[in-house]
Amino acid sequence: MQRAPVFGGAIILLLLVTGCYSGGGPNRTIDGGGGPAMLTGAPAVSYDIKRLDGHMDSLARYRGSLVVMNLWATWCPPCRAEMPDLERLSTEFKSKGVVVLGIDQGESAATAAAFARARGVTFPVLLDEDQQYGRSYAAIGLPTTVIVGRDGHIIRGIDGELTLAQMRAAVIPALKAK
Amino acid sequence: MNARITIYVVAFVAIGLTLAQDLRPGLDFYHTWQYAAMSGIAILLMASYAWSARTGADGASGKRVAIAMVGALTIAVAGFLSGLIGPDTVTVSGSPGTVTPIPDLRAAAFFGQADPATIAHGDAVVDLRKKNSVPIVVPAGKHLYLGTSIVSLGARPAAYISARDLRGNHLTVTQPTNGTFLSPVLLFPNKQPIRDKVYPLDTFATPALHRIARVLYFTADDAATFNHLGSKQPALVISVNADSGKTVGLTIAPSDREVTVGDLRITATIGTYPEISIASAPHPLALAIGLLMFLGGSLAALNTARRSQIESVPASPQA
Repeated sequence: MQRAPVFGGAIILLLLVTGCYSGGGPNRTIDGGGGPAMLTGAPAVSYDIKRLDGHMDSLARYRGSLVVMNLWATWCPPCRAEMPDLERLSTEFKSKGVVVLGIDQGESAATAAAFARARGVTFPVLLDEDQQYGRSYAAIGLPTTVIVGRDGHIIRGIDGELTLAQMRAAVIPALKAK
Repeated sequence: MNARITIYVVAFVAIGLTLAQDLRPGLDFYHTWQYAAMSGIAILLMASYAWSARTGADGASGKRVAIAMVGALTIAVAGFLSGLIGPDTVTVSGSPGTVTPIPDLRAAAFFGQADPATIAHGDAVVDLRKKNSVPIVVPAGKHLYLGTSIVSLGARPAAYISARDLRGNHLTVTQPTNGTFLSPVLLFPNKQPIRDKVYPLDTFATPALHRIARVLYFTADDAATFNHLGSKQPALVISVNADSGKTVGLTIAPSDREVTVGDLRITATIGTYPEISIASAPHPLALAIGLLMFLGGSLAALNTARRSQIESVPASPQA
């Protein structure tokens, strides 16, 4: 006889709990993005693509060196402004095992080569017509600079134009790190 | 006996509601108050029956049925909890070559690289990676069970855009409004209603020529309404604007056919790219234990009932 009120109470409690429940929201969607900074510590992915001189090359080929990988394009004003400083950085740190690697995003060889010649660029420039590096390094704009350690892991990802002083400030601690 | 038939009907409904989460994962219905109320009432009824039957209120075989009901109860509670407090279904997408963190799984989805052929065939790969464990490839057409989550692979419309200027120079394709800025692969995250239909919509830019393109995705059936396309195939409707916002061209681009619009030569390869869907699911251990108890209890009850039937038949008088 005592079970009926208990059961009834339980039903009422249940209805209250479920009635107060707002129900599931609409399905959520998560998509990528987030910028290059979030990649710190991750292994640096590499793709085989053509260099300006037509030979195949990749980021992985420079394993063992500290790589300053710069994603750029000729139409991008900050990229053009940054190029002389990247060239200076390359000259200054080449003997210390630092490689500056330019990766043109989506343009023809002729366009990138003409630009590099006009600016006196001597560091290797790769042609990423399919923009694979741009996607994988979560670039949210150009230029994007990624410092890759000797062990092939990403030390820093930086969005936007850098001055020579900022480049040095990124490279010197990375050189000191084991 | 009527009570027993009723409670079995309730148990089958409760088990069915729970197993549906495994068989048809991701439905919004599992996270509604109606689903919770149905499961909850079934739980209370089964608990009430099992409580009274354990003392023999429903006969000797009723004690075995009580065990079966505890099993059904375990399953129903697992389904109730998964529906009521499990996370809502989430769709995870990413551009080719990118990584998307999935906090619900404490993992990240690695979306495989794609070229025009991969987009056309829709056979790009997605794998899930957790810290210090082997990557798990999400299989196409199957469900992947990961604890209390079910992961399945879906396909979303996609187009690989190759853009050139009128002299044939390849151009950078950017997506300023999307998560992945430097990608020539459009994944159509937006929708455009036109009359009574909704079409996938995306945009891309070619900054070198100061052009912004709005792209509508038409399936093969939709595109068939454009008679001049010839064969039945998906197509894009591309509207090109200058930086000023002025429209400088509009065209229909079938897959893999170069079109010239607004000083751009565009080749679009149309197809699909995978996305993954993660739905909450009842705990597999609770399901296994519950099913074992339900089947074991039911078989034992049948056996007991049959024995008592035999014992109750009066022995025939011997000559």
